[in-house]
Amino acid sequence: MTNPIEATNLSRSFGDLLAVDSIDLSISSGEVFGFLGPNGAGKSTAVRMLTTLLKPSSGSARVAGFDVVKKPSDVRKKIGVALQDAAIDPLMTGNELLRLQCVLHGLPKRSGKKRCGELLERVGLTAAGDRRVGTYSGGMRRRLDLALSLVHEPEVLFLDEPTTGLDPTSRMALWEEVRNLNQDLGTTVFLTTQYLEEADQLAERIAIIDDGKIVREGSPASLKSAVGAPTLRVDVSEDDLPSARTVMNHFGEERPARRNRIAIGLVSGTPGITDVMKALEGAGIEIQHVELDEPSLDDVFADATGRRLEGGQV
Amino acid sequence: MKKNVFAQVIKLSHRSILGMLRQPQSWAPGLFFPLLLAAVYSSQFSKAVTIEGFPFQDVSFLDFVLPACVIQGVLFGSTNSASDLAVDIENSFMDRLLVSPVSRGSILLSRLASAFMYGVAQAAILISIFVLFGTNISGGLPSIISIVVVAALLSVAMGSFGIAIALRTGSQEVVQSTFPLIFVAVFVSSAFFPVQLMEGWYGAIARKNPLTWVIDPTRRMSIHGFSWNDLGQSVGIVLAIASVGIGISILQLRRRLVRAQ
Repeated sequence: MTNPIEATNLSRSFGDLLAVDSIDLSISSGEVFGFLGPNGAGKSTAVRMLTTLLKPSSGSARVAGFDVVKKPSDVRKKIGVALQDAAIDPLMTGNELLRLQCVLHGLPKRSGKKRCGELLERVGLTAAGDRRVGTYSGGMRRRLDLALSLVHEPEVLFLDEPTTGLDPTSRMALWEEVRNLNQDLGTTVFLTTQYLEEADQLAERIAIIDDGKIVREGSPASLKSAVGAPTLRVDVSEDDLPSARTVMNHFGEERPARRNRIAIGLVSGTPGITDVMKALEGAGIEIQHVELDEPSLDDVFADATGRRLEGGQV
Repeated sequence: MKKNVFAQVIKLSHRSILGMLRQPQSWAPGLFFPLLLAAVYSSQFSKAVTIEGFPFQDVSFLDFVLPACVIQGVLFGSTNSASDLAVDIENSFMDRLLVSPVSRGSILLSRLASAFMYGVAQAAILISIFVLFGTNISGGLPSIISIVVVAALLSVAMGSFGIAIALRTGSQEVVQSTFPLIFVAVFVSSAFFPVQLMEGWYGAIARKNPLTWVIDPTRRMSIHGFSWNDLGQSVGIVLAIASVGIGISILQLRRRLVRAQ
């Protein structure tokens, strides 16, 4: 079975500007894939090509088994799209917009009505379904947007910066909904975001895009571990400090730390923490406090581009 | 598939009409402005009908201006559909439509259908108000229906030019900037004064203004009575204008879709 999203050397230029530069994508069925990058990196342009809104300048892409240039109509039947900043008509109610979306996707009237009710319930908007969208909060609009993209039970769901501008509570509620959707229905999710935490929380695999190019790709854990060892910090009493240092230096190179604390780069990674604790206890050292800092996706981004993402240091 | 396209046009038109109804500021001026002008003109120019050479006898000025006011009202509102389309493009609702399997033709057809429905409603309301104030429509119901149909088709015709502009520019401001042109076109026509009494360049332009060719037969149907000839002339001219406007709209829609790609 072919992957629901495949792209080869996909590029798009606007005049002299190369917005997306020869990207390759291979996303498996049921995967949540995060496309992480700063504003203007080329995320939305890539989504617009994959959702048939924009023709690639070169390269090719297949979504849900269909070529986006040769068979755009077939692609549109299989995908759900929640575009960044795409308006939700404020003069219509949530229910009316869902019904409209059902008709656009050719759902029969009766099943469409049932589907609208189910989706409103799913995104927690049943009570607000007959209210005009203009009265909705930002979070409610995004949840409705998600519901609109799901009316036809798409195989592939594109979410273009779904939580931009939302408050932390609304953001987490939407994450939960995306997780449920992926788990319950097995929908493949292509998520673009500029938020490190969002990519970290939701995506099984991440591609970091910068200046139109994919600069890193892999699972969040593998990307982080490739940057370097996590930092283990252990607080001990002043008396125990020399012996603790001796023990811990067996597990990694010492890093700068404050008074009565020893920090090392834990070569064996997070799982190695147990061995360090056992060794310290075996040496009769009383541990007062332990901290483990994984490298963040911001560190990954910085490693790949030499810059930090806005709101980095997760 | 055809059944689905029909359902799409109905549903998208429904959205368009709902949007208009829920924004009184979009349709109210097209209703009140012609009524205000009719009230002012009929009180100030009531004696105009007695001028020698006035082409209609034994009519009030209100009888004379009814078709013009209906057409003026419909024309004022004809940019609404195009303006809403421009807003859809500006705020990316159009993208929402384009990533769905909606027929591209449905997007255009639904806007034209809503312009037609708007024209029907606007004309029916204006005629009813005129009749309440004593306007006599000699042709009775056939003439009333004819005026409503001509007005609604004119709404489609002029709306289609607005739609073409909306598709070309994607800007509500540009669409709305065409409003003064419509205003001028109505005034430099036979709308409020018969061309037979106009002189000089003003009369020459008014006589060549296609709106005059639509208003005059519509007015004859209102004052003299229903006539197939007058209906044919007014509908024919409006359809000719509409075919040009719709043709340009189709070209602009294709251009926009290609440009987007």
